[in-house]
Amino acid sequence: MDITAVASPARTVPRGLVPASVVLGGTLLSLIGLTWDIQWHSDVGPDTFFTMPHLFLYAGSAISGLASLAVVLMTTADTKRAKEVDPIVGGRAVGVFGRTFAAPVGYLISGVGAALFLVYGLWDQWWHGLYGFDAVIDSPPHIGLLLSISITMVGAVMIFAVARDQRWGTYGVAASAATLLAFSMVTVLGLRALPGGPVNTVNAGSAFFSVMILFMGAYVLKQRGGALTVAVVVAALQALFWWFSPWATEVYADATGLPLRDYADGIPGLPNMIPMSLVLVAIAVELLHKLPAWVSGAVGGVIITACAPLQRMLTYGSPFPNTERYIATVVAGAVLGALAGMLGRRFGHMLRHLVPAKENRHA
Amino acid sequence: MRRTLLGLAGTVALLLGLATPSLAFEPVNVVHTEKVQAGPYDLTVGFSTWPVKAMQSLDFTFAPEDGIAGKKGTLTMLHSGVAQDDGPLARHPRKREVWGLDIHAMPEPGTWTLRFDVEGPAGAGTGELKNLQVMEQPGPPMGLSWAISTIPLFGLIALIVIAWRRTRTTVE
Repeated sequence: MDITAVASPARTVPRGLVPASVVLGGTLLSLIGLTWDIQWHSDVGPDTFFTMPHLFLYAGSAISGLASLAVVLMTTADTKRAKEVDPIVGGRAVGVFGRTFAAPVGYLISGVGAALFLVYGLWDQWWHGLYGFDAVIDSPPHIGLLLSISITMVGAVMIFAVARDQRWGTYGVAASAATLLAFSMVTVLGLRALPGGPVNTVNAGSAFFSVMILFMGAYVLKQRGGALTVAVVVAALQALFWWFSPWATEVYADATGLPLRDYADGIPGLPNMIPMSLVLVAIAVELLHKLPAWVSGAVGGVIITACAPLQRMLTYGSPFPNTERYIATVVAGAVLGALAGMLGRRFGHMLRHLVPAKENRHA
Repeated sequence: MRRTLLGLAGTVALLLGLATPSLAFEPVNVVHTEKVQAGPYDLTVGFSTWPVKAMQSLDFTFAPEDGIAGKKGTLTMLHSGVAQDDGPLARHPRKREVWGLDIHAMPEPGTWTLRFDVEGPAGAGTGELKNLQVMEQPGPPMGLSWAISTIPLFGLIALIVIAWRRTRTTVE
C-alpha cells in the first residue's frame, strides 16, 4: 500500500511536509547564522548581543522550537479528543509529563533542543558577564549552545526519516543530515579541550562525526547513492557558504559603517572546517558497500584525517604537520572511522524503525 | 501554507528591522597602561581591565607616541619564555588610531611577555613588556563548566541507548 494514501485526496501538500520544512528551515537559519558569525569575528570583530548573525542563530532555534511546539500541542489536542493521530507527522506520539502532552518523537527531540538553546543562552550570558564578551567559539557555554542546536538538527533528521518512503522524506533526510554534518564540524572544536597527545583531536573528531552522519544517512535511505547524496548536499552547502560568508560579512560591515580588520584574510571559516574530501569518502562508501561497515568507515576516517592538513595547506598556506602528529591522527581517524561506520549504520537502522508500520505488514 | 510563509516573512522582516538600530559597540576604555621602549619608539600598552585574569577577555591597545602612520610591526606573546602566539600589529577595530587586540583573553595564568618588533621612519626596534602577571581564571573550575555544558551530549547518548535497546530487529 502506498503510504500517501493516508493523506486526504483534497490535500495538495503531503501531510507532515509543512512543519518538517519549517523545522529544517530553522536549522538552516542556525547554520547560516553560525557561518556568518564566525566570519564576522575573524574579518570585522565588534560584537553585541544583537548582531545580524546572532539574530539568525536565535531565530533558527526559535522557528524550529515554535514549529515543534505547535505540532506537539496539536497532537496533544487530537489525542485528548480521541482523534486518530497520523504518525507520518514526526513519528509515534509519546507521553510527556505522564500523559499531559502527546509528542511525536521527532518533534519532541527538535523541541527539546530548542528549549535547551534558551537555557544555555542564559548560561552563556552569565559566562560573558564573568569572562567578558569573548569571541571564543569553543567556550563551554558556546559548545552547550552548539550541542543544543545539534539536538534540534537530530530531531529534524528523525522527522524526515519517518517519511523516508516518500520523496520529500528522502530529500529531507539528505538535507537535514547534511545540515547536521556541516554544523558538527564547528561543535568538534570543543575537542581542543581534550588532551590528545600527538593526535589532532579536532581532525579526528571531524572524521568521526562526518563518517557517522554519512553512514547514518546512507543506511536510513538504504538505497545506492545514499551516502553520495548526503555528501553532495554537504558540498553544495560548503560551496554556497564559501561565497556567502565573506560576502555577507563585507556587506554587513559596509551597512554598519565598520571597516574590515587589518590583515583580514577573507578565507571562509566554517566552510573550510568541512572536509573537502567528503565526496571521496562517500564514493569509497558506495564502492565498498558489500564490505562490513567498519571497513569502509575506517577507510573514510583515513581519507578525512589524511586530507585535512592538505586542505589547510591549500587554503591557508599552512605548513604540513610533523610526521608523528600526522601518522598518529590518521591512525586515530582509522579507529574512530571504523567505530563511526558501525554506529552510523546502527543509527540508520534505528531511524528506519520510526516509519509507521504499513497496514499489510505484521511487525 | 500561505499563512505560514507570510508569518515567516513577517518574522524575518521584524528581525531585520530591529537589528540595525540596536548595534552600539562598547568604546575601548583603557584603565591601566604600561610603557615599552622598542628601539627608537615609545609604546604605551593599554589594558581595558586590570589586573589581567586568564580566559577573561579585554581590549589591548598598543600606541606609539607619535602615532602608527608609516609604521608596522609584529607582536609575539610568550608564556614563561616560550612563544605561544604571534601576528602583525593591526589597528584595533574599535579604536582605529592605535594598534590593538579586541576582546582578547590570555589563555593561561602565569608570567607573560609581550614582545614588539616595530619598523618605521626611525628604523627598526624591539621592546618587551616583561613580567605581565596573569592571575588565575575567575569562575568555577573548567571541569564543572564543561560538565554543565555537555549535558545535552549526555542526554543525546541516553536517548541513543534507549532507542538502541528498543530497535534490535532490522526494518526493511
